[in-house]
Amino acid sequence: MTIEPSYFEYPHRGPGMDHDRYEYRRLATAKPVTWPNGAKLLVWVTLHLEHFPLNMPSKPFIPAGGMSRPGLSVWDYTQRDYGNRVGFYRLMKLFDRHGIKPTVAMNSQVAVRYPYLLDRIVERSWEIAASGTDMGHLHYGGLDEAAEREQVQRSFAELRRLSGQAVTGWHSPAHSQSQNTPDLVAEAGALYIADWINDDMPYSFSTANATLTQMPLSYDLSDRKILYQQALPSAVYAHQIEMACQCLRQEADTRGGRILSLSLSPWVAGLPAQIRTIDNLLGRILATPDTRAATGEEIRGYWVESTSK
Amino acid sequence: MLSEPFNYDYAPYLNRPKIVWPGGKRLAFWVAPNIEFYEYAPPPSAARSVWYRPEPDILNYSMRDYGNRVGFDRMADVMAKYGVRGSVSLNVALCDHFPEIIERCCELDWELFSHGIYNTRYLYGMTEEQQREIIRDSRETIKRVSGQSLDGWLSPAISNEATTQDLLAEEGLLYTLDLFHDDQPMPVKTRSGKRFVSVPYMMDVNDVPVLNFRNISPQDYLQLIKDHFDQLYEEGEESGTVMCLPLHPYLIGQPHRLWLLDEALKYITSHDGVWLATGREIAKWYLDNHYDEAQSFIDSVKGAAA
Repeated sequence: MTIEPSYFEYPHRGPGMDHDRYEYRRLATAKPVTWPNGAKLLVWVTLHLEHFPLNMPSKPFIPAGGMSRPGLSVWDYTQRDYGNRVGFYRLMKLFDRHGIKPTVAMNSQVAVRYPYLLDRIVERSWEIAASGTDMGHLHYGGLDEAAEREQVQRSFAELRRLSGQAVTGWHSPAHSQSQNTPDLVAEAGALYIADWINDDMPYSFSTANATLTQMPLSYDLSDRKILYQQALPSAVYAHQIEMACQCLRQEADTRGGRILSLSLSPWVAGLPAQIRTIDNLLGRILATPDTRAATGEEIRGYWVESTSK
Repeated sequence: MLSEPFNYDYAPYLNRPKIVWPGGKRLAFWVAPNIEFYEYAPPPSAARSVWYRPEPDILNYSMRDYGNRVGFDRMADVMAKYGVRGSVSLNVALCDHFPEIIERCCELDWELFSHGIYNTRYLYGMTEEQQREIIRDSRETIKRVSGQSLDGWLSPAISNEATTQDLLAEEGLLYTLDLFHDDQPMPVKTRSGKRFVSVPYMMDVNDVPVLNFRNISPQDYLQLIKDHFDQLYEEGEESGTVMCLPLHPYLIGQPHRLWLLDEALKYITSHDGVWLATGREIAKWYLDNHYDEAQSFIDSVKGAAA
């Protein structure tokens, strides 16, 4: 193994980031943001509706929840599908009771396959955000640009056609992007993405087509990460969310409005053993002073308005 | 490849010469925040894959970027609340990317030591001259931004070459963190025979292995830190011990984990026998007061075995 002299060249070693997607911003010294009506903490609930095809490819990687059995992965398939059949409706009742309108980040295939489910979302005017076509079609480095453009266009077109909504948000399945994803998503008319996990607040994100807003969608605090991937008990999940809520709410007193992102999947949070934890948690969070729920598009709008003053 | 590192001789944790920290303290506590820059498009390495997913691995890149945008200030605020200074394990290119972070470290009177240039550039496969180039770059960068001398070292992403410790000693550094073989500082054997110290850097309470590689809750992590401290504090009465808390702002600076750092520092700093130190202060005190005794002890153990 020989290390070439080029290994000692650092072409981006200078002020700011080593790419052109966004500027460096230190949250502690950023201009404070204000939310409407004196709110300090906005709770952004995202509900992730996904379709995991039985024959999804294992390359370039298997996303969390993907098919993992040595043969036909009926186990994984049916447990994920459970979310769209059962878990979703448990969570729907819960959101109705708490008066929460979530952002539903969905694979367009879920809307195509389950019109009944889509109707429940549309009649409640919950926000729909695009999240690719299905979990067998990830966006990743090396994906052919034309093929990816087709996936992005199809996701937005189907969701817009079937829901009648504008669909301004995008979440890449499994938080995975190619070099081109943000450009293609902007080309399809999106206003915000929620893929990068480097901030607790929105920021401006450059693309070849338009400037997007990158929204803070939690990964570490998602039900999928803690309850499914880490397999930690519900109490540990609830405690972490509550600590985050406390920290952010406190920070908002001196440093401007904050966002608590609650990322839920019906095949995790919608399980019988988890639903009461989620119920209690939502109750406690929404009882925090100066705290209320908002959708992604609402928060994006507030943020743009507050930062353009 | 070598069958073992050859940087130290056997020293049993029994009947060692007594270490007493300044002011008669029994445990030297130091916090090592890793302030890192992982490259978006790093050069490939023959030794390992740099990222976990096909590049750009925006999930893992942005996870780490969180530390420099958000986590650092939260972590620094909590440390300042308890009068705990940091000894920064620094990817020195970060000084050029985010000088304001370094300015705050200096305002807080923190030590800067080198953790390589970027965390995505490894020492694996480097010649001695190439490794010296990394050490020289680190020394010059740290001097330029802080006026501090380069005294400590943790290899970037813990990538080591067989000669790394020899070169660090020859280049005039005082201490290394690459060896995880002890709970007390120890003399390091290098080919030049220069006095060079290993300071404990504790992977067992490091937030990366604990939170990223083991599925452990924040509550359990806090308990782990307290248990680790309690034992070392008790043993420190017999002979001074070191407790290092290695941190990463991208993990500990998360809103759901910050509280545990607050609790941990509150607990540790409430003990009278704790010396709140930096890596450099521990290494210097040890070199000036305990190094020679320890070396004689190691030699006597070797003699007894012969």
